[in-house]
Amino acid sequence: MGEVSKKVKKRFKNYDDFFQQETYLYKEIVEIMGFNTLINIPKTKDILQEYTKSVHTPDMTLDDFLKTIGEVKEGNIDDAIQSIFEGKLIICSNKGQYVVVDPIPKELNRSIEPPSNENVLQGSQSSFIEDLETNIGLIRKEKTSEKLCVNSYSMGKRQNKKLALLYIEGNVNKDILSEMQNQIEKNIKKELQNQQDLSNILGFSPWLTMSKFHTSELPSEAVKMLLQGRVVLFIDRLPIAFILPSLIWDMFTIENEHNYPYPLMILIRVLRVLGLLTTLIVPGLYVALVAVNPGVLRIEMALSIAQSRQGVPYPALVEVLIMLLILELILEASVRLPKSIGPTITMVGGIILGQAIVDAKLVSNLLIIILAATTIANFTIVGVQNSLSIRLYKYLIVIFASIYGVFGLLAGMLLIIAYLSSLKTFGVSYLNVNLERDVIKR
Amino acid sequence: MVKLRLKLIFLVFVIVTLTGCWDTKDIDHRLLPVAMGISKEGEEYQVILQVPEPVEGQMKNRIIKESGQTITKTIDTLSGNMESQIDLLHVKVILIDKQLAKEGVKDVISGFMRSRDVSSNALVTICDEDIEKFFNTVSNDLDVNAINLFEFFEKNAGWTPQIALTRVWQVYRSVHSYTHDVAVPIVVSGGSTNIRHMGSAVMKNGKMVETITPDETLLINAFKEESAQGRVEVSDHASVLIISNKTNSKSNFIDDEPSLENVINLKVVLLETKDDHTIELIKEELSTILQERFDGMFTKLQESEADILGLGQHFRNKIPRRELKDWRSKYYQELKMDLSIEIDIQNTGFLKSNSSDLSAN
Repeated sequence: MGEVSKKVKKRFKNYDDFFQQETYLYKEIVEIMGFNTLINIPKTKDILQEYTKSVHTPDMTLDDFLKTIGEVKEGNIDDAIQSIFEGKLIICSNKGQYVVVDPIPKELNRSIEPPSNENVLQGSQSSFIEDLETNIGLIRKEKTSEKLCVNSYSMGKRQNKKLALLYIEGNVNKDILSEMQNQIEKNIKKELQNQQDLSNILGFSPWLTMSKFHTSELPSEAVKMLLQGRVVLFIDRLPIAFILPSLIWDMFTIENEHNYPYPLMILIRVLRVLGLLTTLIVPGLYVALVAVNPGVLRIEMALSIAQSRQGVPYPALVEVLIMLLILELILEASVRLPKSIGPTITMVGGIILGQAIVDAKLVSNLLIIILAATTIANFTIVGVQNSLSIRLYKYLIVIFASIYGVFGLLAGMLLIIAYLSSLKTFGVSYLNVNLERDVIKR
Repeated sequence: MVKLRLKLIFLVFVIVTLTGCWDTKDIDHRLLPVAMGISKEGEEYQVILQVPEPVEGQMKNRIIKESGQTITKTIDTLSGNMESQIDLLHVKVILIDKQLAKEGVKDVISGFMRSRDVSSNALVTICDEDIEKFFNTVSNDLDVNAINLFEFFEKNAGWTPQIALTRVWQVYRSVHSYTHDVAVPIVVSGGSTNIRHMGSAVMKNGKMVETITPDETLLINAFKEESAQGRVEVSDHASVLIISNKTNSKSNFIDDEPSLENVINLKVVLLETKDDHTIELIKEELSTILQERFDGMFTKLQESEADILGLGQHFRNKIPRRELKDWRSKYYQELKMDLSIEIDIQNTGFLKSNSSDLSAN
C-alpha cells in the first residue's frame, strides 16, 4: 500500500462510509477510494474497465493511462481529501501518484417534479430541484441563448457551497451586475446555507419585512425575469431561484398568465390587486367602523352590526386580534401537518371553531365573514414571502385603525407605501414599474 | 442609536396617549337614534328620540324624551340616564313642531351646524301635530321596521317626488342667504299608512311663512331637476307617467327689472285615457294644468317673499351685492316669470292613440 493511501486512510478513520478498494488496471494494482455514500462503486468500476479497453494501445502503461484521465498528483494529499469530500473518486497507484476523477454518483436527487409551492394552471409543470446543475440546465433548456451567462462561486471558508449567478448579457444593467459580483467576491468566505445568508452576503439589512428577493421555483418564471434584465441566483441544495431585484409588480403577475387571452390576464391581475387591498384594509376597516367612526356606516348597516355585536364582551380591537391570532395558528398548523390530516384541521378550525365562537358570543358573526375574506384574499398574492409580508402589514393597519379610525387606515397605508418606496436593491426602487426604461437602458 | 431608540419610544407613547383612544365606544355601546323630534314648551325644548334597539333578534323602536334649556343639555341628560351613550351621528330625520317652526328654527339649526353632533345631511321636516303623539303612533303601529320614518324620506326607498327633500345645511343656508329659501315637508301621523304627507312648508329665513300642496311641491322638484320620475299626473282626460324632466332658465335684468324665462321639459308616457282624445289635446291640457298650478303657487310665494325656487341665484351676478339683500322684498316682487312647460309624450304604452297627423290612417 502506497504512502498516499496510508495517509488518506488515517485521515478518514472516523468516516465509516469511506471505502478503499484494490483493483487491477493494466495488470497493476491500483487503489480507488472515496465515499460509498456518494459513489456508485460497481458502475464506476465497470466504466473504468471499459474505458481502459477503449483507449488501449499495445504499449500503454498505467502511468500513461492515468495521465489521460486526469492530472497526476504526488505527495500532497490535501487535494485528495478535499476532492473526496466533494464526492470524487481517487485512483492511487503503488508509486504514490494519484488522480482525481468524476465517478458515477449515487442518485441522491429527486427527479424533476411539478412545483409544490406554486401551482401552475395550464403551463409548464417542471420546477427546480435541489441540484444546482439541474436547475441551470432547466433554464438553459427553457432559454437557448448564447447570451445566457453563468457565474459560479464556491462560498464559505472551506469553499464547499456552490452559488450560481445567471444573467443575460446585454439585457442586464452592467453596473448592477458588477456591483453584485463584487459584493459576492468580497464576501466569498462567508458561510452560505439559506436566504438569510445570501442576503447578508449581498449586504442587505436582516430586518427587512419585505424580502428583497423574488423567489420562484418555476423555470419559466425565472427565464421571464432574466429576459427582463434581472439576475437569478441559485444556492446548491435549494430548489428556489432567487431573483434580484424584486419589484412590487411581481406580487401580481405570473408568467403563465400570458397563456391566457389578454383581457382575462388583466382581470386576474386586477383580482390580485383587489386581494391585496382586501387583506390590508378590511380588518382595519371593521375596527375603525365599529369602534371609532360608526357614523360612516349607513344606518341599516350600523344597526345590523350593532345587533351582531350584542353581548360580545371585548372591544373590537381585542376581538379582531384574537380571531386573527387563531387564524394564523390554523394557517401555520396546516403548513406543518401531513397532507393526510390537513383537510381535517381545516374543517375543525374553519367550520367548527368559527361556528362555536359565534354561538358562544365571543366575537360577532360579521367578523368571521371579514376574517374569512381577509384570509382568502391573502392567498391571491403571488409568492409565499410576499403574502407573509402582507399578512404582517395588516396588523399595523388594524392597530392604527383602532386608534385613529378611518383616518388611521389612511395613515397606515401611507406608512406602508412609504416603507415600500424606501426599499432599494442595488439602486433599483421596489416600486419601480418599468425596469427596462428606468434601469436597463440607464 | 440610543437617542434614536428613545425618540421612537417617545413617538409610540405619543401616538397612544394623544388620541384618547380609550374613550372610543364600540358600536354596540352606543344608542343610534334615527329620528329626533323637537318642540318648545315655554322656554324649554322638548326632545324626543326614536331609537331602534335589537330585541330578541328583531329591531324594536324605543321612544325616549326629555326636556331642557338647550337641546345639547337635554341630550346629555338623556345620555346620562340611559345605559349607553347617545350618538346623534345617525339621526337622519329631524322633526320640528309646527309651532316652533313658525317661531323660527334659526337657533336650533345653527346649534346643529355648530356642534356637528347631528349630520348636516339630516332631513328636516315639520310635524303638524303633537310630536310625542306622532312618534308613538308611528313606532307602535309599525315596530317591525325600525327605521320606517327614515325610509319614508329615503330617495331609494319610500320617497316620491311630491315630497320636498331639505337637509339641515340647506335650512341653515336659507337662514343666511339673501336669495335662497327652502320648502320643508309637513307630515302627520294616522291613516292606514301611518305617516301622511300634507305638503310642504315654505321656510323663509328659518321661519315657516306659507304652506304649499304636494302637487305644488312636485313642480318645485321638477323645476329644481330633483327627479320627478315615476310620478303619475292626471288631467281631465288622461293620466300620464312622468319619466324625465329637464329645466332651462334664462335670466334678464334690464332697468332694475328682473325677468326669467323658463322651460320645463317633461317626458311622459301615456297611461290611461278617457274617451278618444288626440295626443295633442292631452299635451295641451296637461301643459295648461301645470302652468296654472305653477302660476298660482308662484303668486303665493311672491306674496310671502320666500324664494324657495332659488330664483335669486340667477341674478346674483347682475344685482350688486349691497342691493342683493333687498332681493326678497324688492326685486323678487317685481320678477317677471315666463314659464313654459313642454310635454313630450314618449310613447303611448302598448296601444296606439289618436294623433292629429296619424288620424289619416
